[in-house]
Amino acid sequence: MDILKASISKLRQLIKDNKISSEEIVAQISERINKENPKLNALLTVVEKPEVNENMKDKPLYGIAFTLKDTYVTKGIRTTAGSRLLENYIPQYDATVYKKLKEAGAVLIGKTNCDAWGHGSSTENSDFGVTKNPWNQDYVAGGSSGGSAAAVASHLSPFSIGEDTGGSIRQPASFCSVVGLKVSYGLVSRYGSIAYASSLDTVGPITKTVEDCALVLDVIAGNDNQDATTNPAKPSHYSKSINNDIKGFKIGIPKEYFVEGIDKEVAEQVENSIKLFKKMGCEIVDITMPMTRYALSTYYLIATSETSSNLGRYDGIRYGNSRKDFGAEAKRRIMLGTFTLSAGYYDAYYKKATKVRTLIKNDFDQAFKKVDIILAPVSPTPAFKIGEKVNNPLQMYLSDILTIPVNLAGIPALSVPAGFTKYKLPVGVQLIGNRFEEEKLLNIGHKFEQERGELPSID
Amino acid sequence: MAKKTLTKEEIIHLSKLANLSLTEEEIEIYGSQLSEILSYIEQLEEVDTSKVSSTAQVTELKNVTEEDEVKEERSIKDLAGLKVNKDNYFTVKRIR
Repeated sequence: MDILKASISKLRQLIKDNKISSEEIVAQISERINKENPKLNALLTVVEKPEVNENMKDKPLYGIAFTLKDTYVTKGIRTTAGSRLLENYIPQYDATVYKKLKEAGAVLIGKTNCDAWGHGSSTENSDFGVTKNPWNQDYVAGGSSGGSAAAVASHLSPFSIGEDTGGSIRQPASFCSVVGLKVSYGLVSRYGSIAYASSLDTVGPITKTVEDCALVLDVIAGNDNQDATTNPAKPSHYSKSINNDIKGFKIGIPKEYFVEGIDKEVAEQVENSIKLFKKMGCEIVDITMPMTRYALSTYYLIATSETSSNLGRYDGIRYGNSRKDFGAEAKRRIMLGTFTLSAGYYDAYYKKATKVRTLIKNDFDQAFKKVDIILAPVSPTPAFKIGEKVNNPLQMYLSDILTIPVNLAGIPALSVPAGFTKYKLPVGVQLIGNRFEEEKLLNIGHKFEQERGELPSID
Repeated sequence: MAKKTLTKEEIIHLSKLANLSLTEEEIEIYGSQLSEILSYIEQLEEVDTSKVSSTAQVTELKNVTEEDEVKEERSIKDLAGLKVNKDNYFTVKRIR
């Protein structure tokens, strides 16, 4: 049994049966990190002495090693958000998601690379260098949670916690052939998550399997009095219902997600996925979501407005370096957001965007009256080459065009590996669910994964 | 939202509002890149929003309140990594 390739559910069983100890898992992973991370640059910080707490043997994630995107504060462990501005920042408290995972027995082994402040789709905006795609190191791992996706795909971490504001979990998951869940806004606490755009930011897992995603969500979901936007309702027991029968479920196919610019091989993989759902007895329903084409503009107005405000706190007085240390993309977004919120332009830009957001949300509300989930590509293309889009911000923004609508509506979506292109680059499929219906979404995702069968993994 | 091109003066003004010091080269690059992005965003003009209300957040929660409580672990003297100078004060530049 290859420990490094094992899923969380398998590792749990091995630990329970005393076939391996948590210390051995951590040791094997540390060795792997030492060997692979210098090539991939997936981890920015490696925890020197990961703490395994022997008193937690009955906890759900006891002994399971994990990584956190470097946008989550960790007491005593450097947290940079991928920016030079925070290169020496040592937080004084723990993010809620980290606290919950520790209390569930999981062991933090590192912090993962990302585009600075979550601004980007390739980790090329990280001030600490790009993360390379483990499937082909000439290509990007995606972003902004590219370090997390690359770490899970290359077995440096059984699971990782990413952060998704416009596709930052789903797109790298698709580029690296791992599972990524963007949760409903308000399901997982954002306390201690370094804010990019507060009305869009969500905290979610990146894992090897859909079942693992459910196991992690069981631990991290739920109300938190430190984050007033968390849902007060008790979350479901996600891992319990993943094997339910999905026969008769209605899968919506929005024609607006298959328009110009979709790579032929990506479209083929999505078509194949639709066939698998048909085979499982699901009903395929054509739907229309006319506002889709306005989502990218709406997002870049709302997200940059919010980020110009959120990044205002980095004044270099209380902590962190001075504002001179903001990288090019952070400055670009702060400038755009400052413009759209400035006197004379607020109504025409920011206010207009919040109204179009209502219409985009309505599109989804209407669709979910007819279907159980919506199926779409994750990104219009597979991973692109490092350097290919760095000089053209608008082209880079367009790679998020199919993930962004979900963030504006605040609903959940899962990126599940579907297959590979002929050049051996991964392609994922996006399954979009209704608000707080992660239970159904993970159930459908798990059944899809079972029907799809094993895919190749990194050696 | 008429066609908007950002002039050099506007970029300089925005950089002041945002407390960013930009180089000449950056002023030029951001001028053209932001104008390009804004001309893409102009497509929103096509959408009739005259009868649509705004969405600033999607939780539908209202008036979430909580008791105030003092947490000792967040007291300033324990804030390692902060630029706390003498007697737990921050030092700032003098205002002229």
